[in-house]
Amino acid sequence: MQPEAFPGNRDIYLLLVLSDANLPTGSFVASAGLESTAAHSLHHGPAGTPGSDIIDFLHNSVDTYARSALPFARDAQRISAAYASKEIVDLDVALAALAHLDALYDACTLNHVARRASCAQGTALLTLYTRGFTCSPLLMSWPGTTPDIGLPDERDSRAGALVAALKLRVRRGESKALGHLPVCWGVLAGALGLTVDRGTHLHLFLHARGVLSAAVRMNILGPYAAQQLLLYAVQPMLSDTLSSTAHLVSGALQNGVSWENADEQFPATTWPLGEILSARHDLLHSRIFNS
Amino acid sequence: MSNIGQDAGHGKIRAQIHNNRVVFPVLSYTYPLKLLSPRMQQEGVAVVYMMTYGGGLVGGDSIFISIEIEQDARLVLLSQGSTKVFKARPGGRAAVRAAPSSPNSPNVTTTTTTTTTQRLDVSIATGGALFMLPDPVTCFRDAAYRQVQTFRLARGASAVLLDWYTSGRRARGEEWAFTKYYSSNEVFVDGVRTARDVVLLDGGSAARGQLLPRRALADRMGPYACYATVLLYGPVVQGLVRELEEEMWRISVFQLREPLDLLWSLSGVHGEPDGRVVRVAGKETEAVKTWLAHALRGIVDVIGEEVYSKAFV
Repeated sequence: MQPEAFPGNRDIYLLLVLSDANLPTGSFVASAGLESTAAHSLHHGPAGTPGSDIIDFLHNSVDTYARSALPFARDAQRISAAYASKEIVDLDVALAALAHLDALYDACTLNHVARRASCAQGTALLTLYTRGFTCSPLLMSWPGTTPDIGLPDERDSRAGALVAALKLRVRRGESKALGHLPVCWGVLAGALGLTVDRGTHLHLFLHARGVLSAAVRMNILGPYAAQQLLLYAVQPMLSDTLSSTAHLVSGALQNGVSWENADEQFPATTWPLGEILSARHDLLHSRIFNS
Repeated sequence: MSNIGQDAGHGKIRAQIHNNRVVFPVLSYTYPLKLLSPRMQQEGVAVVYMMTYGGGLVGGDSIFISIEIEQDARLVLLSQGSTKVFKARPGGRAAVRAAPSSPNSPNVTTTTTTTTTQRLDVSIATGGALFMLPDPVTCFRDAAYRQVQTFRLARGASAVLLDWYTSGRRARGEEWAFTKYYSSNEVFVDGVRTARDVVLLDGGSAARGQLLPRRALADRMGPYACYATVLLYGPVVQGLVRELEEEMWRISVFQLREPLDLLWSLSGVHGEPDGRVVRVAGKETEAVKTWLAHALRGIVDVIGEEVYSKAFV
């Protein structure tokens, strides 16, 4: 029997790869509205508390993103996993469901800057999967390729087909396939076989880390302080937010959407000021980020 | 005309053009809602005031208005003063039915918060237009409010949909002290969903803070005390959209030392080249009102001075 490095080996190894800061996802040009917020002098927290500026922003940003985008990531991941495992047999059925999600997310994202950044990063994820996460024939023939991550099987080839087809639709500019970040993230996480909880947790973690690295580049925060916040402030923030939003669904796939308790079920923006600030990004006199 | 016997808080409006005037084949409402249409001189435009008895809504109140705007009819929806949302009616609901009293009276004894709901369903035919220019919603301390508004536009229909809210009764030191505000505005054009704008302000989200200290809603909303969203659609708003766009591109933000007193943004909507969303935040409600009155002034060409002067008063 081969000793396992740690339990759940495959999942953990995937998480290591996916959380690599060098992952080419284009997130380094996005500040999720931090640059505009700082330019408008609205990133200040309670005076005199070190790091509070960025903690406040992180709170608002993580909360509104979890409430508004994660339901889409979750739903997309379920579709992607269901197609890979043949629970959804037909490719067109899976693509149509994803198109619904994409269109609804676009209709909910009423901010051209956020929409632009989301599509750019989502599309980058699809490329990442097709070019970085599928096994090439050359690698497959290499005797050292371990079965720990696993050699491609039918599940992988179905997942690959779904991502390739979605990518093609987005590239063709088909009106309903926009390639929004949460949708594409869900597709990627489902294709890789992560659990929904791990997929959404990692997605929100990457969102928070993106904000922190933008803060470092903008000189709001030093690199050590950013690391400290990531370890001690972001962790409880993510746990809290994820547990309070885990039950939300996008509403795109659910029939008979009822308005009576819409506030308890469906995506919503929780930081209206962030919407305005983000949408004003292009009005900044000088800027280093795209969003 | 009030139709006794229907569900409480229901209103129905059907507007159509008849000899260049807008008439109402249907205009009905039930307690605690009132819909009043004053006579206006402007041809092709009608005004309806949405009001409630006592000037406010309380926990448990539920309003449902459905509006049908037929071809080429233009309807302006207004309110009289801000929509005040109270936590509870003093003395309970039955007593108020018998003797409406000011909800401002001091002996508010009810302790449980029931959500106040307001639902609006509108359909607008080609050439028709809705100008929804109410006063802002003001949720008082511990109030919980939910509104869900759906607008179905035919191609060629127009709409100016203003939805705004304030931080509360600031004179009494209330700043974002309500329990919950939820507002959903959804616009379909020709059956396609082009915008779903949903805001959730959950002042009572202490429950989610398992690990971190509770954050007050004021931390997230400040330094602004009034937020507005305007959805703009259709041929009649294209002039003002162009003006707003030009005005926006004249803005250049250098690093600010202090937050602006008012800031606004303009974005497109999903798959509808003519649709826009405008958002405004201001430290003072009056400043937001002045900004809106100026920004939306272009609709005077359609609804006339007299009618426009009734909005933003």
